[in-house]
Amino acid sequence: MPSQQDSLWYKDAVIYQVHVRSFFDSSGDGNGDFRGLAQKLDYLHELGINAVWLMPFFPSPLRDDGYDISDYRSVNPLYGTLEDFRSFLDAAHKRGIRVIIEMVLNHTSDQHPWFQESRSSRSNPRREWYVWSDTDTKYKGTRIIFLDTELSNWAWDPVSKQYYWHRFFSHQPDLNWDNPALREEIWNVMKFWLDMGVDAFRLDAIPYLVEREGTNCENLPETHEVIKDLRARMDGEYPGRMLLAEANQWPADLRAYFGNGDEFHMAFHFPLMPRMFMGVKLEDRKPITEILKQTPEIPDNCQWCLFLRNHDELTLEMVTDLERDYMYDEYAKDKAMRLNLGIRRRLAPLLDNDRRRIELMNGMLMSMPGTPIIYYGDEIGMGDNINLGDRNGVRTPMQWDGGWNGGFSPADPEMLYSPIMLNPVYGYHSVNVQSQKRFEHSLLAWMRRLIKIRKSTSVFGRGSMQFLYPANHRVLAYVRKLGAETILVVNNLSSSAQAVELDLKAYKGNILVEMFGRNVFPRIGDLPYLLTMGPYQFYWFKIRRI
Amino acid sequence: MPDGSILSDEFIRELINVGEVDILVGVPTQNDARTVGQVVQGVRAGLLKYFPRARSVIINADGGSRDGTRDLVRAASINDTFGSNLPALRTLHSISTQYEGPPADGTALHTILAAADLLQAKACAVVSPGSTSLEPEWIERLLHPVIREGMDLVLPVYRRHKFDGLLIRNLVYPLTRALYACSVREPYPSDYAFSSNLGTNFLNQDLWTQEQGRHGTELWLTLSAIVGRYKISQSFLGTRGRLEAPPSDLVKAMRETAGLLFCSLDCYPGAWKGAHEPLPAPCSGCQPAVSLEPMRVNRKRLHQMFTFGISQLEPVFASILSGPTHEELKRLASVPENEFVLPGPLWARTVYEFAVAYHRAVIGRDHVVQALVPLFRGRALTFLQENREASETEVENNLEKVCQAFEAEKPSLLQLWDGEK
Amino acid sequence: MQGFARFLPRVLEMLVIVLVGWVIAILLRAVARSILKIARFDKLSEHTGATQLLRGAALPSLTELVSRFVFWIAWLGFILVGISVLGVAGFDEHVATFFEFLPRLVVSLFILFFGLLAASFFSRAVLLGAVNANLPSPRIISWAVRTMIILFVLSMAFEELSISSRTVVVAFGMTFGALMFGMALAFGLGGKDLARRYLEKKFGSESGAVAREHEDELSAL
Repeated sequence: MPSQQDSLWYKDAVIYQVHVRSFFDSSGDGNGDFRGLAQKLDYLHELGINAVWLMPFFPSPLRDDGYDISDYRSVNPLYGTLEDFRSFLDAAHKRGIRVIIEMVLNHTSDQHPWFQESRSSRSNPRREWYVWSDTDTKYKGTRIIFLDTELSNWAWDPVSKQYYWHRFFSHQPDLNWDNPALREEIWNVMKFWLDMGVDAFRLDAIPYLVEREGTNCENLPETHEVIKDLRARMDGEYPGRMLLAEANQWPADLRAYFGNGDEFHMAFHFPLMPRMFMGVKLEDRKPITEILKQTPEIPDNCQWCLFLRNHDELTLEMVTDLERDYMYDEYAKDKAMRLNLGIRRRLAPLLDNDRRRIELMNGMLMSMPGTPIIYYGDEIGMGDNINLGDRNGVRTPMQWDGGWNGGFSPADPEMLYSPIMLNPVYGYHSVNVQSQKRFEHSLLAWMRRLIKIRKSTSVFGRGSMQFLYPANHRVLAYVRKLGAETILVVNNLSSSAQAVELDLKAYKGNILVEMFGRNVFPRIGDLPYLLTMGPYQFYWFKIRRI
Repeated sequence: MPDGSILSDEFIRELINVGEVDILVGVPTQNDARTVGQVVQGVRAGLLKYFPRARSVIINADGGSRDGTRDLVRAASINDTFGSNLPALRTLHSISTQYEGPPADGTALHTILAAADLLQAKACAVVSPGSTSLEPEWIERLLHPVIREGMDLVLPVYRRHKFDGLLIRNLVYPLTRALYACSVREPYPSDYAFSSNLGTNFLNQDLWTQEQGRHGTELWLTLSAIVGRYKISQSFLGTRGRLEAPPSDLVKAMRETAGLLFCSLDCYPGAWKGAHEPLPAPCSGCQPAVSLEPMRVNRKRLHQMFTFGISQLEPVFASILSGPTHEELKRLASVPENEFVLPGPLWARTVYEFAVAYHRAVIGRDHVVQALVPLFRGRALTFLQENREASETEVENNLEKVCQAFEAEKPSLLQLWDGEK
Repeated sequence: MQGFARFLPRVLEMLVIVLVGWVIAILLRAVARSILKIARFDKLSEHTGATQLLRGAALPSLTELVSRFVFWIAWLGFILVGISVLGVAGFDEHVATFFEFLPRLVVSLFILFFGLLAASFFSRAVLLGAVNANLPSPRIISWAVRTMIILFVLSMAFEELSISSRTVVVAFGMTFGALMFGMALAFGLGGKDLARRYLEKKFGSESGAVAREHEDELSAL
C-alpha cells in the first residue's frame, strides 16, 4: 500500500486515465469490468504509471458515459460489484498504484432517486436538493456548455411543472449547493469511498457548483467555500488524500481553485493543452510560452495536471477565435470531428500517426511542470472512430492483441459496448499491446522508458521552471531545477532540422549529460551553446558539474 | 564579412533563427527614424490582419543609419520580448542588417533578395520607409496577387497629386510602355511585391556590381520582369503621401530612370525592337488616381532653366540631336513662358534621339543623360500648363496622349538605331 | 675615283637600309592603323575635338594621320641610320640625338592627346553641372576649366620635351594662379547667395524655409 504519509505523492505521480468499461472484459458480456481491470494491473505497473484515474463507474443510465450518476454508493453492475472494486483497489495498492475516482458533484442523472424524489413534489424534503424555477429566465447570460445539443440551461419538468437548472445535458439536473443537507450528504458519499481506501477524487465540473443572479454562474466565491469545506474535512479525517479539479478556465481563474493551499491539491491546466498542439503545428513556441507566462504561481503544496488527450473533445474554449479557426482547419478538416467547441480525436490521429511528433508531445508532457496524465490507449497509439456519436469515438475498447475482439473481450463482437477499431492503420491487428511488447523500439517500449526516466528524478514533478528564449522560435527550451539538480529540456517543434544557440552562461563550466543515452555533451563555455536537432527531436540534459 | 558574400555572419545567424518563411517584407533604410516606426507598425498590422497564419519576417537592409532606425524596426518583432499583447498566432521576426558599401537602394534590394532566397520566401514585398500613408491593407493588396493569384510582380498604383512624379508621368511610364508594350503606371516603384521565382532570377543576374545594381534597381526589376514575360499586375494602394523632404535631385533621378532605360535598350534589343504582344498588367482595385489640391509650382524657373539649357548646351545638343529637332527646341526657347508648349511628339522624338546618342556614346553616356535634364524641365512646364485647370479625367487623357506620342514616334527610334549600320 | 670606289659599298649599304626601312615603315603603318581602328581611336578623338578640326581642314582622320606619322618617323629613323653608315663626320651625334628625342616626343604626344580628351570631358561635365544647377555663366566656367587643363597639359608636354621647361612651368603657374584668384573673387562675391542656399539646404535652418519659397514642391519620382 503506498504510503499515505507522503502527502505530496501526487507531485511525483504519472497518472493513467482509464474507463473501466473500455479496458478489459473478464465476464464476456462485452463491457470492461473491475475484475478485468485488476487482471491488467501488471501491465500498468510495467508501463510505470503509479496512479490510475477511473472514469465514472457508478450506476448510471449511461447517457453521458457514466457522468450521469444514479447511485453514488455503488458500482454499475456492468462493471462488477462493490466487492470487485475493493479487490481491484487492494491489488492496485499492492503494486504501488494509487486510485483516483470521479466524483460528479455538480449534477446527477435524472434517474437518481434524489431527483426522482425532488421532482415528485414541491414539498418533498429533497425538493431543494436541485435548482428549480418557475421561469427559464433566471441566471440570464450563463453560457451553454454543450452547444451542439442544448439550447438552454433550463429544462421543463412536466412532473413538477417547473424548470430545473442543468449546465450539461438536460438529463443531468444540477444539484443545489446552497442546500446544507445536500452538502452533508455529498460529504457522506465521499467518506464512503475514502473509508474504502480511495486515494483521490477528481471533482467533475467544479466551476458550476453554485449559481447567483447577475453573474456568469462560474467560479463564484460560494463555490470556493464549498471546496474549502470539503478539503478541510478531508484533511482532518483522511490526510494524504487528494482533490483534483476539473475546471476548464483560464489560468488566472484556475488559480483561485488552489486557494491558499486549502482548496484543490491539483487542477487540470486546460489552456496549455491545445497550445501544445498549436505550437507543433505552427512550428512556433509562442502559444506555449505565452500561456505558461500567464500561468500564475500556485501554493507549494499544489500541482498542475497536464494532459494531451482525454475522454472528452480537445477543448478549444480557452483559445481566441483566430486560434480556434486555425486548430479546426489544421486538426479537424472533417467537420464531423468537431464537437462542442472542440475536436473529438485521439492523440495519434491528431498527429497524423507521426511517431516523432507523438514522442515529442509526450516528451513535453513529461517534462513540463505538472503531473502528467496518459489517456488509455495513447501509449500504443490507438486511433479513433469519429462515426460513433458524441465523444464515443475516443472511448473504443483497448486493443490487447490481434486476436478475437483485439483481446478485449471473449464476447461476440456484436455484444461489445462499442465497435472495436478495424481500419488497417489503427485497427487492433496493427495497433495492440501484444505486438508492441515484442519490439524494443515500439511506441509502448519507448513510453515505458520515458516514464522511467521521468520518475528517476523529482525535478520534473517538483522543480521550478525557467524558459530560455533562443532566437530560433521553433525551439522550446527550459530549465527545470530542484535543489542541486538541474535539467535542461530542449524541444524542436519543427518538422525540419534546426540549429539553436542557447544562452547557458549561468551554467558555465558544467557538462551536459543526455538522459536517454547517458552520453556526455560538451562543456558549457562562454559562447552560446550550439545544438543541432532533427525534426521533432527533443533532449533532456542533466546539467552537471564535474 | 567573408569575401564575395553580401550577408554578414551576424545576419546569417539571425536568418537561421528565422527559418523558412512564407512572406518576407523588406524595408530599405538610411536614417529614416522619423517615419520607419510608423511604416513597420503598419506592415506588422497588415501581416497580422491578412496573413495571420503565414510565417513572416520583416527584413531591414540599412545603409548605416545613426538615428536609431534599426532599433525601431527591430521593435516591430512579436516574440518573447516584444508585442506579446498582440493577437498573433506566431512569432514575427523583424531583423535588421547594415549592408556594406555606400548607401544605395539597389544594394539594399540585393540584401533583401539574398535573404529571401535563403529563407525560401514564397512571396516578398518591399516597402519604402517613407511611405507614411501605408495602411495594413497595402500589405494585402501587394501580396495577395502573388500568393493567391500566381503573379510574379505586383506594382503599385497610387492616388497622387496630378503634379507629382512628373518624370515618371512624362518619361518613365510612356517610354516603358512604348518600348516594351507593357502599361505599368509606376515602373520605378517604392512599394511592390514579387514572387520567389522572379526574385531568384533577379538575384542571379549579373548587375550588382554595375550602376543599375546600386541605383534605379527597382526599375531594372520591372524591366527584367517585362522582358522575361513574367506575370505582372498592379494594385491600387491608396494615397501616396507627399514626401516632407525636399524634392529629389533631378540629375540623379534622370540617371536612375532615363539612364537606366537607355541602357536597357542595349541589353534587351530583342524585347523592344519588332512587334510584340502587349504584356498585360491588370490593375486590381484601380480608381481615379489623381488628386487636385493646389500646389506650389515655380513655372518661371522651369522656363528659365529650359531656355538657359538650350542656349548654354548648344554644342552638346548639336552632337546629340538631329538638326530639325535641335532647331525646333531652339525655336521653343524663344517663346515666352505663357505660350510655351513642348508637345508630346517633339518630346518623344527628343527622348529617342537621346537614346540613340546614348547607345552610340557620341559623348560620355552620363553626359547624354545629364543633358536631357533641362529639356525635361521644358516638358514638365508644358505638363503643368496643360493640366493647370484639368480635371482628373483630363489629366488622364493628357497622360494618355503623351504615351501615344511615344508609341507613334517609336519607328523613328528604330530607324535611327538601325541607321548606324 | 678610288675614293668613290671605297664609298660605293657604303652607298649600297645605305640604300639597302633605306629600302628595308621603307618596307618596315609600311608594315608599321599598317599595324598602327589596325590597332588604332580596333581601339576606336577616331571615336575617342572626337571627344577631344580633333576629329572635327581635321574634318574642317579637309584633312584625313586622326587614325590615318597617326599611322602616316608612324610611317614617316620609322622611315626617317632608317634613313638616318642609313646616312650614318656613310660615315659623315658628326652625323652620328645627330642621329643619337634624334633617337633620344623620339620617345620623349611620343610621350608628349600621348600627354597632349589624353590631356585634350580630359579637357573636353571635364569641361563638358562642368558645363552640364553648372547648367543643371542654374549657375550663372556656365560656358565661361566650362571654358576656364578647359583652358586650365589644356595649359596644364601643354606645360607637361613641353616639360617632357625639355623645351623652355622652366619658363613654361612658371608661366603656367602664374596663369593658373591668376585664373584661380579671379574665379575666387568672382565666386566669392557673386556666388555668396548660392553658397548660403547650399549651406542652408545641407544643414537646415529656419531661414532655409525662406529660401525655399523660391523653389517649388515638385517631386520628379
